[in-house]
Amino acid sequence: MSERRIVLAQARAAIVVALRTPRALVFTFFFPLIFLVLFNSIFIKGGDQSVTLPTGLKLSAQAYFMAGITAYSISLSTFTTLAVSITTQRERGQLKRLRGTPMPAWTFIVAQILRATAQALAMTVLLVAIGVLAYGVDFPGSSFIGFLVYVALGTATLCTLGIAITPFTPTVDAASTIAPFSVVILAFVSGVWIPIDQLPHWLQEVGRIFPLYHLAIGLQSTLSPQASGLGLEGGNIAVLAAWALAGVWVATRRFRWEPQAGTG
Amino acid sequence: MVSEAAISVRGLRKSYGEHEAVAGIDFEVGSGEVFGFLGPNGAGKTTTIEILEGYRERSGGEIEVLGVDPGEPTREWRSRVGLVLQECELDPLLTVREAVTLFATFYPSPRPVDQTIELTGLAEKREARIGSLSGGQKRRVDVAIGIVGDPDLIFLDEPTTGFDPTARRDAWNMIEGLKELGKTVFLTTHYMDEAEHLADRVAILREGRIVAQGPMQELSASLGRRTVIGFRLNGGLDVEEVRSCVSATPQVAGDEISIETEQPQGDLYRLLALAEQRGVALEELEVRKPSLEDIFLDLTRDQGRQP
Repeated sequence: MSERRIVLAQARAAIVVALRTPRALVFTFFFPLIFLVLFNSIFIKGGDQSVTLPTGLKLSAQAYFMAGITAYSISLSTFTTLAVSITTQRERGQLKRLRGTPMPAWTFIVAQILRATAQALAMTVLLVAIGVLAYGVDFPGSSFIGFLVYVALGTATLCTLGIAITPFTPTVDAASTIAPFSVVILAFVSGVWIPIDQLPHWLQEVGRIFPLYHLAIGLQSTLSPQASGLGLEGGNIAVLAAWALAGVWVATRRFRWEPQAGTG
Repeated sequence: MVSEAAISVRGLRKSYGEHEAVAGIDFEVGSGEVFGFLGPNGAGKTTTIEILEGYRERSGGEIEVLGVDPGEPTREWRSRVGLVLQECELDPLLTVREAVTLFATFYPSPRPVDQTIELTGLAEKREARIGSLSGGQKRRVDVAIGIVGDPDLIFLDEPTTGFDPTARRDAWNMIEGLKELGKTVFLTTHYMDEAEHLADRVAILREGRIVAQGPMQELSASLGRRTVIGFRLNGGLDVEEVRSCVSATPQVAGDEISIETEQPQGDLYRLLALAEQRGVALEELEVRKPSLEDIFLDLTRDQGRQP
Protein backbone atom coordinates (compact mmCIF):
# COMPACT_ATOMS: atom_id res chain seq x y z
CA MET A 1 0.00 0.00 0.00
CA SER A 2 2.62 2.48 -0.92
CA GLU A 3 1.24 5.98 -0.82
CA ARG A 4 2.07 6.46 -4.48
CA ARG A 5 -0.27 3.58 -5.35
CA ILE A 6 -3.01 5.11 -3.19
CA VAL A 7 -2.64 8.45 -5.01
CA LEU A 8 -2.65 6.83 -8.45
CA ALA A 9 -5.65 4.60 -7.71
CA GLN A 10 -7.66 7.64 -6.62
CA ALA A 11 -6.51 9.75 -9.57
CA ARG A 12 -7.48 6.93 -11.92
CA ALA A 13 -10.94 6.65 -10.34
CA ALA A 14 -11.37 10.44 -10.63
CA ILE A 15 -10.46 10.33 -14.33
CA VAL A 16 -12.86 7.42 -14.95
CA VAL A 17 -15.67 9.35 -13.24
CA ALA A 18 -14.87 12.53 -15.22
CA LEU A 19 -14.93 10.65 -18.52
CA ARG A 20 -18.33 9.15 -17.60
CA THR A 21 -19.89 12.58 -16.85
CA PRO A 22 -21.08 13.85 -20.25
CA ARG A 23 -22.50 17.16 -18.97
CA ALA A 24 -19.19 18.20 -17.45
CA LEU A 25 -17.30 17.05 -20.55
CA VAL A 26 -19.43 19.21 -22.83
CA PHE A 27 -18.83 22.22 -20.62
CA THR A 28 -15.12 21.79 -19.98
CA PHE A 29 -14.04 20.01 -23.17
CA PHE A 30 -16.22 21.00 -26.12
CA PHE A 31 -17.06 24.59 -25.12
CA PRO A 32 -13.46 25.89 -25.23
CA LEU A 33 -12.87 24.15 -28.57
CA ILE A 34 -16.08 25.54 -30.02
CA PHE A 35 -15.27 29.03 -28.71
CA LEU A 36 -11.83 28.92 -30.31
CA VAL A 37 -13.32 28.02 -33.70
CA LEU A 38 -16.23 30.47 -33.35
CA PHE A 39 -14.13 33.48 -32.36
CA ASN A 40 -11.66 32.88 -35.13
CA SER A 41 -14.50 32.51 -37.67
CA ILE A 42 -16.55 35.48 -36.51
CA PHE A 43 -13.94 38.10 -35.73
CA ILE A 44 -11.15 37.41 -38.15
CA LYS A 45 -12.03 38.65 -41.61
CA GLY A 46 -8.84 37.87 -43.49
CA GLY A 47 -5.70 39.98 -43.54
CA ASP A 48 -3.59 40.80 -40.51
CA GLN A 49 -5.53 41.80 -37.46
CA SER A 50 -3.79 42.54 -34.23
CA VAL A 51 -4.77 43.22 -30.64
CA THR A 52 -2.94 45.58 -28.30
CA LEU A 53 -2.58 44.47 -24.68
CA PRO A 54 -2.72 46.99 -21.77
CA THR A 55 1.08 46.81 -21.58
CA GLY A 56 1.31 48.02 -25.17
CA LEU A 57 2.41 44.65 -26.56
CA LYS A 58 0.77 43.72 -29.86
CA LEU A 59 -0.06 40.22 -31.06
CA SER A 60 -2.15 38.66 -33.83
CA ALA A 61 -5.85 38.22 -33.14
CA GLN A 62 -5.48 34.45 -33.68
CA ALA A 63 -2.77 34.22 -31.02
CA TYR A 64 -4.82 36.48 -28.74
CA PHE A 65 -7.87 34.16 -28.90
CA MET A 66 -5.82 30.99 -28.57
CA ALA A 67 -4.07 32.23 -25.43
CA GLY A 68 -7.22 33.74 -23.86
CA ILE A 69 -9.30 30.62 -24.44
CA THR A 70 -6.48 28.47 -23.07
CA ALA A 71 -6.69 30.51 -19.84
CA TYR A 72 -10.47 30.07 -19.84
CA SER A 73 -10.14 26.34 -20.45
CA ILE A 74 -7.57 25.87 -17.67
CA SER A 75 -9.98 27.59 -15.26
CA LEU A 76 -12.82 25.23 -16.21
CA SER A 77 -10.62 22.12 -16.09
CA THR A 78 -9.24 22.93 -12.65
CA PHE A 79 -11.21 25.47 -10.60
CA THR A 80 -14.68 24.50 -11.86
CA THR A 81 -14.35 20.71 -11.96
CA LEU A 82 -12.58 20.54 -8.59
CA ALA A 83 -15.16 22.71 -6.84
CA VAL A 84 -18.07 20.72 -8.28
CA SER A 85 -16.61 17.24 -7.86
CA ILE A 86 -15.26 17.74 -4.34
CA THR A 87 -18.52 19.32 -3.16
CA THR A 88 -20.46 16.44 -4.74
CA GLN A 89 -18.26 13.84 -3.10
CA ARG A 90 -18.51 15.60 0.24
CA GLU A 91 -22.30 15.93 0.15
CA ARG A 92 -22.73 12.26 -0.82
CA GLY A 93 -20.75 11.28 2.28
CA GLN A 94 -17.88 9.89 0.20
CA LEU A 95 -15.26 12.11 1.82
CA LYS A 96 -16.43 11.14 5.28
CA ARG A 97 -16.25 7.49 4.24
CA LEU A 98 -12.71 7.95 2.89
CA ARG A 99 -11.64 9.54 6.17
CA GLY A 100 -12.68 6.31 7.90
CA THR A 101 -10.08 4.33 5.94
CA PRO A 102 -6.30 4.29 6.49
CA MET A 103 -5.95 6.49 3.38
CA PRO A 104 -3.87 9.59 4.29
CA ALA A 105 -5.96 12.72 3.69
CA TRP A 106 -3.33 14.37 1.49
CA THR A 107 -3.45 11.50 -1.02
CA PHE A 108 -7.06 12.35 -1.83
CA ILE A 109 -6.26 16.02 -2.44
CA VAL A 110 -3.19 15.23 -4.56
CA ALA A 111 -5.18 12.71 -6.61
CA GLN A 112 -7.89 15.30 -7.34
CA ILE A 113 -5.24 17.84 -8.36
CA LEU A 114 -3.57 15.27 -10.63
CA ARG A 115 -6.86 14.60 -12.40
CA ALA A 116 -7.49 18.34 -12.88
CA THR A 117 -3.93 18.96 -14.06
CA ALA A 118 -4.11 16.12 -16.58
CA GLN A 119 -7.34 17.60 -17.92
CA ALA A 120 -5.93 21.15 -18.07
CA LEU A 121 -2.79 19.97 -19.90
CA ALA A 122 -4.74 17.85 -22.38
CA MET A 123 -6.98 20.82 -23.18
CA THR A 124 -3.98 23.15 -23.53
CA VAL A 125 -2.30 20.76 -25.97
CA LEU A 126 -5.50 20.54 -28.04
CA LEU A 127 -6.13 24.29 -28.12
CA VAL A 128 -2.50 25.10 -28.97
CA ALA A 129 -2.46 22.42 -31.68
CA ILE A 130 -5.59 23.88 -33.28
CA GLY A 131 -4.21 27.42 -32.95
CA VAL A 132 -0.88 26.53 -34.54
CA LEU A 133 -2.14 24.16 -37.23
CA ALA A 134 -5.45 25.76 -38.22
CA TYR A 135 -4.89 29.44 -37.47
CA GLY A 136 -1.14 29.81 -37.98
CA VAL A 137 -0.29 30.97 -34.45
CA ASP A 138 3.45 31.41 -34.02
CA PHE A 139 5.53 31.09 -30.84
CA PRO A 140 8.20 33.79 -31.24
CA GLY A 141 11.68 33.06 -29.84
CA SER A 142 11.66 31.20 -26.53
CA SER A 143 8.11 32.36 -25.74
CA PHE A 144 7.01 28.72 -25.65
CA ILE A 145 8.76 28.29 -22.29
CA GLY A 146 7.11 31.43 -20.91
CA PHE A 147 3.75 30.12 -22.13
CA LEU A 148 4.35 26.82 -20.29
CA VAL A 149 5.34 28.65 -17.10
CA TYR A 150 2.02 30.50 -17.15
CA VAL A 151 0.13 27.25 -17.87
CA ALA A 152 1.82 25.59 -14.89
CA LEU A 153 1.34 28.52 -12.52
CA GLY A 154 -2.26 29.10 -13.64
CA THR A 155 -3.07 25.41 -13.22
CA ALA A 156 -1.59 25.35 -9.72
CA THR A 157 -3.35 28.55 -8.66
CA LEU A 158 -6.75 27.58 -10.01
CA CYS A 159 -6.49 24.06 -8.51
CA THR A 160 -5.94 25.50 -5.04
CA LEU A 161 -8.80 27.96 -5.54
CA GLY A 162 -11.13 25.16 -6.72
CA ILE A 163 -10.41 23.32 -3.47
CA ALA A 164 -10.47 26.48 -1.34
CA ILE A 165 -13.97 27.46 -2.49
CA THR A 166 -15.60 24.17 -1.39
CA PRO A 167 -16.10 25.23 2.26
CA PHE A 168 -18.31 28.02 0.84
CA THR A 169 -20.44 25.80 -1.40
CA PRO A 170 -22.71 23.98 1.06
CA THR A 171 -24.64 22.12 -1.63
CA VAL A 172 -23.93 20.56 -5.01
CA ASP A 173 -26.36 23.05 -6.55
CA ALA A 174 -24.38 25.96 -5.13
CA ALA A 175 -21.08 24.53 -6.42
CA SER A 176 -22.40 23.75 -9.89
CA THR A 177 -23.81 27.26 -10.21
CA ILE A 178 -21.01 29.32 -8.70
CA ALA A 179 -18.02 27.39 -10.06
CA PRO A 180 -18.80 27.46 -13.81
CA PHE A 181 -20.56 30.81 -14.03
CA SER A 182 -17.97 32.77 -12.08
CA VAL A 183 -15.44 31.66 -14.72
CA VAL A 184 -17.75 32.54 -17.63
CA ILE A 185 -18.48 35.99 -16.20
CA LEU A 186 -14.87 36.72 -15.27
CA ALA A 187 -13.84 35.73 -18.80
CA PHE A 188 -15.67 38.84 -20.08
CA VAL A 189 -13.60 41.18 -17.91
CA SER A 190 -10.33 39.28 -18.22
CA GLY A 191 -9.63 39.86 -21.89
CA VAL A 192 -10.48 36.29 -22.85
CA TRP A 193 -12.78 37.18 -25.71
CA ILE A 194 -13.10 40.95 -25.57
CA PRO A 195 -9.81 42.89 -25.67
CA ILE A 196 -9.52 44.53 -22.29
CA ASP A 197 -9.12 48.08 -23.67
CA GLN A 198 -12.64 47.93 -25.10
CA LEU A 199 -14.11 47.74 -21.58
CA PRO A 200 -14.96 50.77 -19.40
CA HIS A 201 -12.13 51.62 -17.03
CA TRP A 202 -13.90 50.38 -13.86
CA LEU A 203 -14.60 46.96 -15.41
CA GLN A 204 -10.93 46.63 -16.30
CA GLU A 205 -10.13 47.33 -12.64
CA VAL A 206 -12.59 44.61 -11.54
CA GLY A 207 -11.03 42.12 -13.93
CA ARG A 208 -7.54 42.99 -12.72
CA ILE A 209 -8.38 41.71 -9.23
CA PHE A 210 -8.89 38.11 -10.33
CA PRO A 211 -6.39 35.45 -11.43
CA LEU A 212 -8.08 34.70 -14.77
CA TYR A 213 -7.15 38.21 -15.99
CA HIS A 214 -3.50 37.70 -15.15
CA LEU A 215 -3.38 34.20 -16.62
CA ALA A 216 -5.04 35.36 -19.88
CA ILE A 217 -2.93 38.52 -20.26
CA GLY A 218 0.17 36.59 -19.24
CA LEU A 219 -0.34 33.86 -21.83
CA GLN A 220 -1.19 36.48 -24.48
CA SER A 221 1.92 38.55 -23.68
CA THR A 222 4.26 35.63 -24.28
CA LEU A 223 2.92 35.35 -27.84
CA SER A 224 3.69 38.95 -28.75
CA PRO A 225 6.68 39.28 -31.11
CA GLN A 226 7.69 42.37 -29.07
CA ALA A 227 7.95 40.38 -25.82
CA SER A 228 11.48 40.01 -24.53
CA GLY A 229 13.05 36.77 -23.34
CA LEU A 230 10.48 34.31 -22.02
CA GLY A 231 7.77 36.98 -22.12
CA LEU A 232 7.11 36.69 -18.38
CA GLU A 233 5.85 39.71 -16.43
CA GLY A 234 6.44 40.00 -12.70
CA GLY A 235 3.04 41.58 -12.02
CA ASN A 236 1.05 38.67 -13.45
CA ILE A 237 3.27 36.11 -11.74
CA ALA A 238 2.94 37.90 -8.40
CA VAL A 239 -0.85 38.14 -8.54
CA LEU A 240 -1.25 34.47 -9.54
CA ALA A 241 1.13 33.38 -6.78
CA ALA A 242 -0.71 35.54 -4.23
CA TRP A 243 -4.02 33.92 -5.16
CA ALA A 244 -2.42 30.48 -4.88
CA LEU A 245 -1.12 31.25 -1.39
CA ALA A 246 -4.51 32.63 -0.36
CA GLY A 247 -6.12 29.43 -1.68
CA VAL A 248 -3.76 27.21 0.29
CA TRP A 249 -4.30 29.32 3.40
CA VAL A 250 -8.11 29.03 3.20
CA ALA A 251 -8.16 25.38 2.12
CA THR A 252 -5.91 24.16 4.91
CA ARG A 253 -8.03 25.94 7.50
CA ARG A 254 -11.57 25.53 6.23
CA PHE A 255 -11.71 22.29 4.22
CA ARG A 256 -14.61 20.04 5.32
CA TRP A 257 -14.85 16.27 4.98
CA GLU A 258 -18.38 15.86 6.30
CA PRO A 259 -21.59 16.73 4.45
CA GLN A 260 -22.67 20.32 5.16
CA ALA A 261 -26.35 19.99 4.27
CA GLY A 262 -28.48 18.04 6.74
CA THR A 263 -27.37 17.15 10.24
CA GLY A 264 -25.27 14.06 9.58
CA MET B 1 -3.26 -6.43 31.84
CA VAL B 2 -4.46 -6.38 28.25
CA SER B 3 -8.21 -6.29 27.95
CA GLU B 4 -9.95 -9.05 26.00
CA ALA B 5 -12.70 -6.64 24.99
CA ALA B 6 -12.80 -5.33 21.43
CA ILE B 7 -14.61 -2.24 22.68
CA SER B 8 -14.73 -0.92 26.21
CA VAL B 9 -16.71 2.18 27.15
CA ARG B 10 -16.88 3.78 30.60
CA GLY B 11 -18.86 6.90 31.43
CA LEU B 12 -19.08 8.10 27.83
CA ARG B 13 -20.71 11.52 27.50
CA LYS B 14 -21.33 13.82 24.56
CA SER B 15 -22.98 17.23 24.77
CA TYR B 16 -23.99 19.57 22.01
CA GLY B 17 -24.30 22.88 23.84
CA GLU B 18 -26.98 22.40 26.47
CA HIS B 19 -28.20 19.14 24.98
CA GLU B 20 -26.65 15.97 26.33
CA ALA B 21 -26.90 13.45 23.47
CA VAL B 22 -25.06 10.72 25.39
CA ALA B 23 -25.37 11.00 29.15
CA GLY B 24 -22.81 8.62 30.63
CA ILE B 25 -22.95 5.08 29.29
CA ASP B 26 -20.91 1.94 30.03
CA PHE B 27 -20.59 -1.26 28.06
CA GLU B 28 -18.11 -3.77 26.74
CA VAL B 29 -18.06 -5.72 23.50
CA GLY B 30 -16.11 -8.98 23.54
CA SER B 31 -13.91 -10.18 20.70
CA GLY B 32 -15.85 -12.15 18.10
CA GLU B 33 -19.19 -10.99 19.47
CA VAL B 34 -22.12 -9.46 17.59
CA PHE B 35 -23.26 -6.58 19.77
CA GLY B 36 -26.63 -4.95 19.11
CA PHE B 37 -26.98 -1.27 20.00
CA LEU B 38 -30.67 -0.44 20.00
CA GLY B 39 -32.76 2.63 20.43
CA PRO B 40 -35.30 4.85 18.71
CA ASN B 41 -34.19 7.67 16.41
CA GLY B 42 -32.55 10.43 18.41
CA ALA B 43 -31.56 8.18 21.33
CA GLY B 44 -27.86 8.81 20.74
CA LYS B 45 -26.96 5.68 18.75
CA THR B 46 -25.29 7.47 15.84
CA THR B 47 -23.48 9.90 18.13
CA THR B 48 -22.06 6.95 20.10
CA ILE B 49 -21.04 4.92 17.05
CA GLU B 50 -19.39 7.96 15.45
CA ILE B 51 -17.34 8.53 18.59
CA LEU B 52 -16.27 4.86 18.54
CA GLU B 53 -15.43 5.15 14.82
CA GLY B 54 -13.16 8.12 15.47
CA TYR B 55 -15.35 10.68 13.68
CA ARG B 56 -16.48 12.68 16.68
CA GLU B 57 -14.83 13.91 19.84
CA ARG B 58 -16.39 12.94 23.15
CA SER B 59 -17.17 15.31 26.01
CA GLY B 60 -16.09 12.81 28.67
CA GLY B 61 -15.46 9.18 29.56
CA GLU B 62 -12.93 6.48 28.82
CA ILE B 63 -13.09 4.43 25.65
CA GLU B 64 -10.90 1.90 23.96
CA VAL B 65 -11.55 0.35 20.59
CA LEU B 66 -9.12 -2.49 19.78
CA GLY B 67 -6.95 -1.12 22.54
CA VAL B 68 -6.73 2.38 21.03
CA ASP B 69 -8.43 5.64 21.98
CA PRO B 70 -10.53 6.45 18.89
CA GLY B 71 -10.21 10.15 19.75
CA GLU B 72 -6.69 9.82 18.32
CA PRO B 73 -7.08 7.42 15.41
CA THR B 74 -3.90 6.09 13.82
CA ARG B 75 -3.52 4.71 10.33
CA GLU B 76 -2.72 1.25 11.71
CA TRP B 77 -5.91 1.34 13.82
CA ARG B 78 -8.01 2.50 10.87
CA SER B 79 -6.81 -0.50 8.87
CA ARG B 80 -8.23 -2.85 11.54
CA VAL B 81 -11.65 -1.18 11.73
CA GLY B 82 -14.28 -1.61 9.01
CA LEU B 83 -17.14 0.86 8.61
CA VAL B 84 -20.59 0.75 7.09
CA LEU B 85 -21.93 4.26 7.55
CA GLN B 86 -25.59 5.16 7.72
CA GLU B 87 -25.46 7.78 4.98
CA CYS B 88 -22.88 7.20 2.32
CA GLU B 89 -23.58 7.23 -1.37
CA LEU B 90 -20.65 5.85 -3.37
CA ASP B 91 -19.89 7.26 -6.78
CA PRO B 92 -22.76 6.07 -9.01
CA LEU B 93 -20.47 6.19 -12.08
CA LEU B 94 -18.00 3.60 -10.79
CA THR B 95 -18.66 -0.11 -11.17
CA VAL B 96 -18.85 -2.39 -8.15
CA ARG B 97 -15.43 -3.83 -8.95
CA GLU B 98 -13.84 -0.39 -9.47
CA ALA B 99 -15.13 0.87 -6.11
CA VAL B 100 -14.07 -2.22 -4.16
CA THR B 101 -10.66 -2.26 -5.89
CA LEU B 102 -10.13 1.42 -5.00
CA PHE B 103 -10.86 0.84 -1.32
CA ALA B 104 -8.69 -2.30 -1.28
CA THR B 105 -5.63 -0.17 -2.19
CA PHE B 106 -6.01 1.78 1.09
CA TYR B 107 -5.33 -1.28 3.27
CA PRO B 108 -2.07 -3.07 4.08
CA SER B 109 -3.44 -6.61 3.61
CA PRO B 110 -6.81 -6.49 1.87
CA ARG B 111 -9.00 -9.48 1.05
CA PRO B 112 -9.08 -10.44 -2.63
CA VAL B 113 -11.51 -8.10 -4.41
CA ASP B 114 -13.43 -10.79 -6.28
CA GLN B 115 -13.81 -12.91 -3.17
CA THR B 116 -15.16 -9.89 -1.26
CA ILE B 117 -17.66 -9.17 -4.01
CA GLU B 118 -18.83 -12.79 -3.96
CA LEU B 119 -19.07 -12.80 -0.18
CA THR B 120 -21.48 -9.86 -0.31
CA GLY B 121 -23.59 -11.54 -2.97
CA LEU B 122 -22.71 -9.13 -5.76
CA ALA B 123 -20.94 -11.55 -8.12
CA GLU B 124 -23.44 -10.97 -10.92
CA LYS B 125 -23.27 -7.20 -10.51
CA ARG B 126 -19.50 -6.80 -10.38
CA GLU B 127 -19.32 -4.95 -13.70
CA ALA B 128 -22.51 -2.95 -13.07
CA ARG B 129 -22.29 0.74 -12.24
CA ILE B 130 -23.27 1.46 -8.64
CA GLY B 131 -25.87 3.97 -9.86
CA SER B 132 -27.80 1.16 -11.55
CA LEU B 133 -28.12 -0.98 -8.40
CA SER B 134 -31.14 -1.31 -6.11
CA GLY B 135 -31.03 0.10 -2.57
CA GLY B 136 -30.26 -3.31 -1.11
CA GLN B 137 -27.48 -3.96 -3.60
CA LYS B 138 -25.92 -0.55 -2.89
CA ARG B 139 -25.90 -1.42 0.79
CA ARG B 140 -24.00 -4.59 -0.08
CA VAL B 141 -21.37 -2.50 -1.83
CA ASP B 142 -21.11 -0.43 1.37
CA VAL B 143 -20.51 -3.67 3.24
CA ALA B 144 -18.02 -4.87 0.61
CA ILE B 145 -15.87 -1.71 0.98
CA GLY B 146 -16.28 -2.02 4.77
CA ILE B 147 -14.75 -5.52 4.88
CA VAL B 148 -12.32 -5.45 1.93
CA GLY B 149 -9.54 -4.30 4.29
CA ASP B 150 -10.07 -7.52 6.29
CA PRO B 151 -10.81 -5.65 9.56
CA ASP B 152 -11.06 -7.28 13.00
CA LEU B 153 -13.99 -5.09 14.01
CA ILE B 154 -16.88 -3.89 11.85
CA PHE B 155 -19.29 -1.08 12.65
CA LEU B 156 -22.67 -1.43 10.95
CA ASP B 157 -24.85 1.66 11.41
CA GLU B 158 -28.47 0.73 10.68
CA PRO B 159 -27.53 -1.62 7.87
CA THR B 160 -31.08 -2.56 6.86
CA THR B 161 -33.09 0.64 7.30
CA GLY B 162 -35.44 1.01 4.35
CA PHE B 163 -35.03 -2.59 3.17
CA ASP B 164 -37.86 -4.83 2.02
CA PRO B 165 -38.20 -8.12 3.94
CA THR B 166 -36.24 -10.20 1.41
CA ALA B 167 -33.35 -7.75 1.33
CA ARG B 168 -33.28 -7.68 5.13
CA ARG B 169 -33.15 -11.47 5.27
CA ASP B 170 -30.21 -11.45 2.82
CA ALA B 171 -28.41 -8.78 4.83
CA TRP B 172 -28.87 -10.82 7.99
CA ASN B 173 -27.30 -13.85 6.30
CA MET B 174 -24.38 -11.70 5.26
CA ILE B 175 -23.87 -10.38 8.81
CA GLU B 176 -24.00 -13.95 10.13
CA GLY B 177 -21.31 -14.74 7.57
CA LEU B 178 -19.10 -11.99 9.09
CA LYS B 179 -19.54 -13.55 12.49
CA GLU B 180 -18.48 -16.92 11.13
CA LEU B 181 -15.30 -15.26 9.86
CA GLY B 182 -14.57 -14.41 13.50
CA LYS B 183 -15.17 -10.67 13.16
CA THR B 184 -16.46 -8.55 15.99
CA VAL B 185 -19.60 -6.73 14.83
CA PHE B 186 -21.06 -3.60 16.41
CA LEU B 187 -24.55 -3.18 15.01
CA THR B 188 -26.95 -0.30 15.56
CA THR B 189 -30.57 -0.81 14.65
CA HIS B 190 -34.01 0.33 15.62
CA TYR B 191 -35.50 -3.05 14.80
CA MET B 192 -35.78 -5.36 17.81
CA ASP B 193 -36.23 -8.44 15.62
CA GLU B 194 -32.95 -7.64 13.87
CA ALA B 195 -31.11 -7.57 17.19
CA GLU B 196 -32.92 -10.70 18.30
CA HIS B 197 -31.88 -12.51 15.14
CA LEU B 198 -28.26 -11.37 15.00
CA ALA B 199 -26.95 -10.15 18.33
CA ASP B 200 -25.30 -12.15 21.09
CA ARG B 201 -25.76 -9.25 23.48
CA VAL B 202 -27.59 -5.95 23.27
CA ALA B 203 -27.75 -2.57 24.94
CA ILE B 204 -30.91 -0.50 24.65
CA LEU B 205 -30.46 3.25 24.61
CA ARG B 206 -33.03 5.87 25.47
CA GLU B 207 -32.36 9.59 25.58
CA GLY B 208 -28.63 9.07 25.88
CA ARG B 209 -28.82 6.45 28.64
CA ILE B 210 -28.67 2.66 28.57
CA VAL B 211 -31.98 1.40 29.95
CA ALA B 212 -31.26 -2.32 29.60
CA GLN B 213 -28.35 -4.47 28.53
CA GLY B 214 -27.35 -8.09 28.54
CA PRO B 215 -27.57 -11.30 26.54
CA MET B 216 -30.56 -11.27 24.22
CA GLN B 217 -32.40 -14.25 25.76
CA GLU B 218 -32.05 -13.03 29.34
CA LEU B 219 -33.35 -9.66 28.36
CA SER B 220 -36.47 -10.96 26.69
CA ALA B 221 -37.13 -13.39 29.55
CA SER B 222 -36.80 -10.77 32.27
CA LEU B 223 -38.91 -8.20 30.50
CA GLY B 224 -41.56 -10.35 28.91
CA ARG B 225 -43.83 -11.22 31.85
CA ARG B 226 -46.88 -9.15 31.10
CA THR B 227 -49.76 -9.86 28.73
CA VAL B 228 -51.25 -7.44 26.24
CA ILE B 229 -55.00 -7.10 25.60
CA GLY B 230 -55.69 -5.20 22.41
CA PHE B 231 -58.84 -4.12 20.57
CA ARG B 232 -60.42 -1.32 18.57
CA LEU B 233 -62.77 1.11 20.26
CA ASN B 234 -65.56 1.85 17.87
CA GLY B 235 -68.11 4.00 19.71
CA GLY B 236 -70.28 2.84 22.56
CA LEU B 237 -67.47 2.91 25.11
CA ASP B 238 -65.05 5.64 25.97
CA VAL B 239 -61.48 5.34 27.16
CA GLU B 240 -62.35 6.48 30.69
CA GLU B 241 -64.80 3.60 31.10
CA VAL B 242 -62.17 1.15 29.89
CA ARG B 243 -59.62 2.64 32.25
CA SER B 244 -61.92 2.29 35.25
CA CYS B 245 -62.47 -1.42 34.81
CA VAL B 246 -58.93 -2.71 34.21
CA SER B 247 -55.86 -2.91 36.47
CA ALA B 248 -53.38 -1.18 34.11
CA THR B 249 -53.45 2.10 32.20
CA PRO B 250 -54.65 1.58 28.63
CA GLN B 251 -52.42 2.88 25.84
CA VAL B 252 -54.41 4.69 23.17
CA ALA B 253 -53.27 5.06 19.56
CA GLY B 254 -56.12 6.45 17.44
CA ASP B 255 -59.00 4.06 18.09
CA GLU B 256 -56.62 1.22 19.01
CA ILE B 257 -56.42 0.40 22.69
CA SER B 258 -53.79 -1.83 24.25
CA ILE B 259 -53.61 -2.80 27.89
CA GLU B 260 -50.44 -4.32 29.25
CA THR B 261 -51.46 -6.16 32.37
CA GLU B 262 -50.15 -8.54 34.99
CA GLN B 263 -53.75 -9.73 35.69
CA PRO B 264 -55.00 -10.68 32.25
CA GLN B 265 -57.81 -12.96 33.43
CA GLY B 266 -59.59 -10.48 35.71
CA ASP B 267 -59.12 -7.53 33.37
CA LEU B 268 -60.41 -9.44 30.39
CA TYR B 269 -63.41 -10.68 32.37
CA ARG B 270 -64.44 -7.16 33.48
CA LEU B 271 -63.81 -5.72 30.04
CA LEU B 272 -65.96 -8.31 28.31
CA ALA B 273 -68.71 -7.91 30.89
CA LEU B 274 -68.74 -4.15 30.33
CA ALA B 275 -68.89 -4.57 26.58
CA GLU B 276 -71.64 -7.17 26.80
CA GLN B 277 -73.69 -4.99 29.13
CA ARG B 278 -73.48 -2.06 26.65
CA GLY B 279 -74.06 -4.28 23.66
CA VAL B 280 -70.73 -3.10 22.17
CA ALA B 281 -68.48 -5.29 20.01
CA LEU B 282 -64.72 -5.04 20.80
CA GLU B 283 -63.37 -5.20 17.30
CA GLU B 284 -60.15 -7.09 16.58
CA LEU B 285 -59.93 -8.25 20.18
CA GLU B 286 -56.70 -10.10 20.93
CA VAL B 287 -54.76 -11.34 23.90
CA ARG B 288 -51.05 -11.93 23.41
CA LYS B 289 -47.70 -12.14 25.11
CA PRO B 290 -45.77 -8.98 24.33
CA SER B 291 -43.46 -9.23 21.36
CA LEU B 292 -39.90 -8.05 21.66
CA GLU B 293 -41.02 -5.04 19.69
CA ASP B 294 -43.50 -4.20 22.48
CA ILE B 295 -40.82 -4.58 25.13
CA PHE B 296 -38.55 -2.40 23.13
CA LEU B 297 -41.21 0.26 22.66
CA ASP B 298 -42.04 0.10 26.32
CA LEU B 299 -38.44 0.57 27.36
CA THR B 300 -37.81 3.37 24.94
CA ARG B 301 -41.04 5.26 25.39
CA ASP B 302 -40.67 8.64 26.99
CA GLN B 303 -42.79 8.31 30.12
CA GLY B 304 -43.54 12.03 30.35
CA ARG B 305 -44.83 12.33 26.80
CA GLN B 306 -47.48 9.73 26.19
CA PRO B 307 -49.73 10.14 23.19
